[in-house]
Amino acid sequence: MAGKMTVGQSIVFVATLLAGCGRADRIVVGSKNFSESDLLGEIVAQQIERRTGLPVERRFHLGGTFVCHHAITSGQIDLYVEYTGTAYTAVLKFPPAHDADSVRRAVTAEYARRFGLTWGKPFGFNNTFAITVRRRDATRYGLTRIADLARVASRWKAGFGYEFLERADGFRGLADAYGLRFSAPPTAMDLGLTYRALAEGKVDVIAGNSTDGQIEALDLVVLEDDRHYFPPYEAAPVIRQAVLDAHPEVGTALALLAGRITDAEMRRLNALADVEHKDIAGIARDWLQAPRP
Amino acid sequence: MSLLAFYARNAQEVLGLVAQHLYLVAVSTLLAFALGIPLGIVLTRRPAWQRPVLGLANVFQTVPSLALFGFLIPLPFIGGIGASTAIVALVLYALLPIVRNTYTGIAGVDPAVREAGRGMGMTDWQLLTQVELPLGFGVILAGVRVATVVSVGTATIAAAIGAGGLGVYIFRGVAVVDDTLILAGALPAALMALAADGLLGLAERRLAWRGK
Amino acid sequence: MTAALEVRGLSYELPGRGTRDGGRGREGGRALVQDVSFTVGAGETLVLLGRSGSGKTTTLKLINRLLEPTAGDVRVAGERAADVPATKLRRRIGYVIQEVGLFPHFTVERNVGLVPRLDGWPPPRIAARVRELLTLVGLDPERFAARYPHELSGGQRQRVGVARALAADPPLLLLDEPFGALDPITRVELQREFQALEGRLGKGMVFVTHDVREGLRLGTRIGLMHEGRLAFLGTPEEFRRSDHPECRAFMAAA
Repeated sequence: MAGKMTVGQSIVFVATLLAGCGRADRIVVGSKNFSESDLLGEIVAQQIERRTGLPVERRFHLGGTFVCHHAITSGQIDLYVEYTGTAYTAVLKFPPAHDADSVRRAVTAEYARRFGLTWGKPFGFNNTFAITVRRRDATRYGLTRIADLARVASRWKAGFGYEFLERADGFRGLADAYGLRFSAPPTAMDLGLTYRALAEGKVDVIAGNSTDGQIEALDLVVLEDDRHYFPPYEAAPVIRQAVLDAHPEVGTALALLAGRITDAEMRRLNALADVEHKDIAGIARDWLQAPRP
Repeated sequence: MSLLAFYARNAQEVLGLVAQHLYLVAVSTLLAFALGIPLGIVLTRRPAWQRPVLGLANVFQTVPSLALFGFLIPLPFIGGIGASTAIVALVLYALLPIVRNTYTGIAGVDPAVREAGRGMGMTDWQLLTQVELPLGFGVILAGVRVATVVSVGTATIAAAIGAGGLGVYIFRGVAVVDDTLILAGALPAALMALAADGLLGLAERRLAWRGK
Repeated sequence: MTAALEVRGLSYELPGRGTRDGGRGREGGRALVQDVSFTVGAGETLVLLGRSGSGKTTTLKLINRLLEPTAGDVRVAGERAADVPATKLRRRIGYVIQEVGLFPHFTVERNVGLVPRLDGWPPPRIAARVRELLTLVGLDPERFAARYPHELSGGQRQRVGVARALAADPPLLLLDEPFGALDPITRVELQREFQALEGRLGKGMVFVTHDVREGLRLGTRIGLMHEGRLAFLGTPEEFRRSDHPECRAFMAAA
């Protein structure tokens, strides 16, 4: 979720800086280099266009957290979507924390104080590690929470990506927090392949990302992190306070998006982009036009 | 953390991964020889099969490893996760240079020598074992050498399917952005590839019959 | 006494593969050898003379079944060639080609001893036979037995080729332009030695060449091939006097 800058990204970054010079009165929206960030950036951009009539310039797929953070603090972009947990550990360098509310409060206060940036209200979903099983097994063994896993773990096989196995907030801490003991040490493999291995019955439990499109596509179920072990990664727009002061209507438009995207909804949108390869702008338009309950 | 300190602290794990890596390479290249050399010989006897077979071997080489693993996971016997799947993928990747060089090595034998052998009353098997294989040996061994060296490198992808090997360090290092870890996997793999290349090159010079 | 070789109505048509337009035109079913008949007795050398593409080499390959005749009958020392497995037949027919085709990874000794070894002779007998043959073709066994082909001159290589063809003492020898690739001096030298051998060996020989002077010097009879057929068959003397236009053409070139 944090990232380092490659040469290609640096070039994009520098180009962004140059292009940003002397821009007129319009809102510049950035995004990181993966589909979910592009989707959220596009939704935000279209929302601003529709609600305020201000011209919006898109600077998408910029790179990792580092690039976006520098772009916004140097004023080259006005706004991008960040994750609370990423800002907390990667930007502010705090040790991982597990309570969503306190993390959100901390990043809001620190960003305002240090960078003059404002955190909008989160979209509603949390893109964190997702302990995932087959729906068939979940029904059969009555699994809804990670704690339920302890009952069956001794007979089950786990397959995890390398990041999950390595990270401090990954497998080792999880096993301790929930008392999980699997039949064998987890199989270390590529994250994308763990989904396939789970669907094919080669492993019984994996750790995906909670908004990955494959969860829906392969009929899998995410178990609830009932002991709040995983750090929160709530997505929310981060915007320069100066822009909000000049155009308070932008803040109003963004507030309308708060709490509107659940984990399942984000998974569905990601699947449209990653599994069905639909056009990002089209997905965003359809989502904004859909009737809301 | 420096690389040496890392090795000193994890000596046992490193040796285990090196052993796993060697096992993957040894089994997959031996299987690739056992499959590829006879296949190359068959092609010299059935020239019509040459294009489809070499074409297919070529296609295998271009399939990205993760996609190949994706195909293999659901397959019974050869698929699933773990060493067997990794070995199947490595065999498929190693096949092309072996089949192609076996074919080229034999096809490159002087036609006059082949005609003389047949005219003297050698059977096809005698011609193959006493003339064509010994004379094509250098070219065949060059293919074996390429396949082995490439396998040492590509065996790092076995870590993507739970088969271990030195790729484990590389995958871990990439996941947590740790260059020391990446190097800890890549360096021994590179040394292994150089050693395999050197040894097989030596064998090529020592064993292969050389024309003037 | 049965003839070393009897050939009756020998024909060969290229297998009629689907022909393509243009290029070399119709190829399917083209006859390369048509209705060729002759007999070669022991101690006799039949020279098959003809232009390139006249069917001489094809005829040789039909005799030792490197090509399978589409019609006709070949008998080697009285036995029908078609009744014997091809590999067994070939071990009873010595075969010498222009390119020699020595096995580059075998020593001279192993090259010459090839057919006896295929036939399962005991090694001491092979070794003795190799020495005898090398001496016969004018190569000192002490000096040459352990050498490799690339250490020999062109003439020496062809001597080894002849020795190899004679190794299992076959009743019949087929020679396809054996001296064609040699320099003129070496060629004449080998022709002279070959002439001396012919009488001593008492074998039937078929000797293919397009060099009419070589043919007249070495042949006890001349067979002239023209467009796949045997246009003339007779002694060198008869050949010189023939009014067949193709014979006259060859004599004019001599």
